[in-house]
Amino acid sequence: MKAAGSGLDKGLGPVVRTIAAWSGVALPLALIGWGLIALAGAPLGEAIDGFLRGAFGGRRNAYLLTTLSRAGLIIGMAMAAWLSFRAGLFNIGGEGQLVLGGLSAALVAIHAPGPAPVAIALAFAAGMAAGAAWAMLAGVLELAAGVPLLIGSLLLNYPASFFASWVVGHPFRDVASGLPQTVLLPAERWLPNFSGTRLDVGVAFIAVVTVLVIVYGATTTHGLRARLNGQAPAFARASGLAVRRLSLQTLAASGALAGFVGALAVLGLHHRYSDGMLVQPLYAWTGIVAVLLVGLVPWAVPLAGFFFAALATGAAGMERTAAVPREIALILQACVILFVAGRTARSVPGARRDDPGS
Amino acid sequence: MSSERDARAGEPLHAALSDVTVRFGGQVAVDALSLHFEPGQVHAIIGENGAGKSTAVNVLFGLVAPDEGEVRIDGMARRFRSPHAAIQAGLGMVHQHFTLVEDMSVLENVVLCAEPDAGAGLVDFQAARAVLDRLAAEHGIMVEADARVRDLPFGARQNVEIVKALYRDARLLVLDEPTAVLTPRESEALFAMLRRLRDAGRTIVLITHKLDEVLAISDRVSVLRKGRLISSRRLDAGATVEDSAAGGRAGLRDVLAREIVGGDLPAPLRRAERAPGEIVLRAQAVRRREGAMTVGPLDLTLRGGEILAVAGVAGNGQGALVRALVGLDRQASPGPDASRGRIELAGVDVASVDVAGRRALGLCYVPEDRRHTGLALDASVAENASVARLDAPPLVRGPFLVRRAMRAFAAGLIERYRIAARGPRARAGTLSGGNQQKLVVARELELGGVVTIAENPTWGVDIGAIAAVHRELMAMRDDGRAILLVSSELDEVLALADRTLVMSGGHFVAEFARGEATRESLGRAMTGGAASARGSDVVGGLAA
Repeated sequence: MKAAGSGLDKGLGPVVRTIAAWSGVALPLALIGWGLIALAGAPLGEAIDGFLRGAFGGRRNAYLLTTLSRAGLIIGMAMAAWLSFRAGLFNIGGEGQLVLGGLSAALVAIHAPGPAPVAIALAFAAGMAAGAAWAMLAGVLELAAGVPLLIGSLLLNYPASFFASWVVGHPFRDVASGLPQTVLLPAERWLPNFSGTRLDVGVAFIAVVTVLVIVYGATTTHGLRARLNGQAPAFARASGLAVRRLSLQTLAASGALAGFVGALAVLGLHHRYSDGMLVQPLYAWTGIVAVLLVGLVPWAVPLAGFFFAALATGAAGMERTAAVPREIALILQACVILFVAGRTARSVPGARRDDPGS
Repeated sequence: MSSERDARAGEPLHAALSDVTVRFGGQVAVDALSLHFEPGQVHAIIGENGAGKSTAVNVLFGLVAPDEGEVRIDGMARRFRSPHAAIQAGLGMVHQHFTLVEDMSVLENVVLCAEPDAGAGLVDFQAARAVLDRLAAEHGIMVEADARVRDLPFGARQNVEIVKALYRDARLLVLDEPTAVLTPRESEALFAMLRRLRDAGRTIVLITHKLDEVLAISDRVSVLRKGRLISSRRLDAGATVEDSAAGGRAGLRDVLAREIVGGDLPAPLRRAERAPGEIVLRAQAVRRREGAMTVGPLDLTLRGGEILAVAGVAGNGQGALVRALVGLDRQASPGPDASRGRIELAGVDVASVDVAGRRALGLCYVPEDRRHTGLALDASVAENASVARLDAPPLVRGPFLVRRAMRAFAAGLIERYRIAARGPRARAGTLSGGNQQKLVVARELELGGVVTIAENPTWGVDIGAIAAVHRELMAMRDDGRAILLVSSELDEVLALADRTLVMSGGHFVAEFARGEATRESLGRAMTGGAASARGSDVVGGLAA
């Protein structure tokens, strides 16, 4: 079975594999989606129309821009996860790193003195530092106390979220708004929108960062070493790679990227930090799923991120026009995760099959 | 369980592959192969790694579906959907890597998934024990039903695997490299048991690369090369082979070896006479723990231009010694610690030096486990070849890799060390075992360090690759570099070593200079400790 399975893989490039994987996932998903829409009693054509308009249409492309904005945040979190996963580090604490990054960036952007560009730069720096620190804490817990990273990083999500809730619920609450959120950032400290649209430039930041991260993985010594450490930890150690330092540095980079995404959401999209704004849309988890869906193939990660963003905004559109509940999108997303689970073992370092024997 | 099994229990089983072809992607792994396994015979299948031996057996067991041809059991075409179905039909397999649950007892392992039902979901261990005792007595297999597998030596574990197959009424038994981890004495015992099973009418299929074993035990030997059957000949009931002059036997050995490699045999090793140089590696009173075993205190010195062999059966503390010397166990307790002894590499006390630091001092390391420690199988050949050279140009420029230079470097290794690879971009995992090992050896030798630690460098490697690795090690020695060869292969130790330390039970128990060591003296020293321990047990038993 093992030999036969690996035999099938031979000769198929990553491109073909990825396409095959996508169609293998898409077909059953389409069937499930069709069944669910039928169950909700909506005409299929109308639902699909609503979905497509909701994801890609709108007056002056408003919905497409929403999809893009959301895709940017998901792709950012996906690249953060990709950095860790390829190095064999199961950092699933992106959510905590994202929340602390967003919170720190908001507080600094609101309270830092000085001209706007300086404050914005400081806010980004604070967000990245907070994310990096939180990710490294999970790494230190593993190295020093033996808490597996998978568990440590996951559990650190909760204190991060609750701490952020407390901060915006009490000491830094915008009391006048009546909600657990900070006050708005001074308007000159908002990231600008693309001219004539309601899309902030955060997406461009994400595009640049994504390219940088992919270049890092493909062309730098550190990127290669981190990947080798993930693919074959015993090999990395015997080859004299500084595996602890590599791991901590990679975690820091991953956490910093998550914190950066949090800062973008604050400075570009929401202009404040409000409780749950980075948790409820499931940016971090969707990012992880996007990475796993494409089997860590880096250039495909943005496509997967865009797909999930479109799924969510399209579902909202479907609800508005065809009265199909948007929860269907969540069900579909869960189905995607189930399909992914069957493929994960082969794409994530440390959980892979053996090579064919003689 | 099944009526099929009960009906045919104990009857002879004819199995055959007829015209089987298996393709993996574009590669043909097995090419129109027909083999007939007859009851009452030991049928040896030999060939290099990648010759298709394992694939052929996997077809027999239904683990791989043939693209053409069929499996015939007792004349009927069969296709097993699972190993379980193959077991039901009377096939049994003893894998090279044991598949026992270490924390369970022998009895529990034997009945696992074939538990006699005592009703109410309980296991009838009483009945199981009776069957086990009967099998043990019938075939002269020593097994302690209540021993924990974890506590057993490898030879005993192999017995458990065999009994497990017999318990399932295996009428055809496949053993994949069964002596890889056994002492010479344990191998003898295994062969005696296989002969008894054969004489009782069972079919034995033996996959191996050791020609001496083939000649000692087989009734029929089939040679595979590149998926094709090269020859299949009967070794007549010992008569011609055993009684004929040594020349005839050696002649057959040569014929088989030539058929395996498909050409001329590699030239014998040549060794330059040279006086040993400076001491480059010194261990003093090194102590470690390996599982329940205390390893050491160990002392050794290694000089330039010398091959020092540490010979011993696997699992006698060699692993702990190597980890200590390479620095892989440093993380457990950083900093100097008097009780752990002292290791000097090129004159430097390396207690607080990590692997990278020791490599910088000139240490090279060819690990035993090439699949996990020697290579990153999912990385490319070029990446694997370059891993230890990424600190400075020419393979890196600033923080960036110079991919072109990495590929050129790897291409050089591929050419000079005759590594069969599609090229520098090929995934290391696509190389055959022997070529993977050549890649590791090439990378480490090319570093040109003063000390090379080679841990079973030819384990599971075919004849051609063994010769290539040995040639390189010898060339390094002649070049004045020092080699610590950790090996459980007597032939390898005898061929290469200038000096040999024998390791048993965590200690060096004997030392031989070149010329003093023979197969017999080494074999005795390797098993001596274990044998005397068993002897005292017997004495104690008698006294009681």
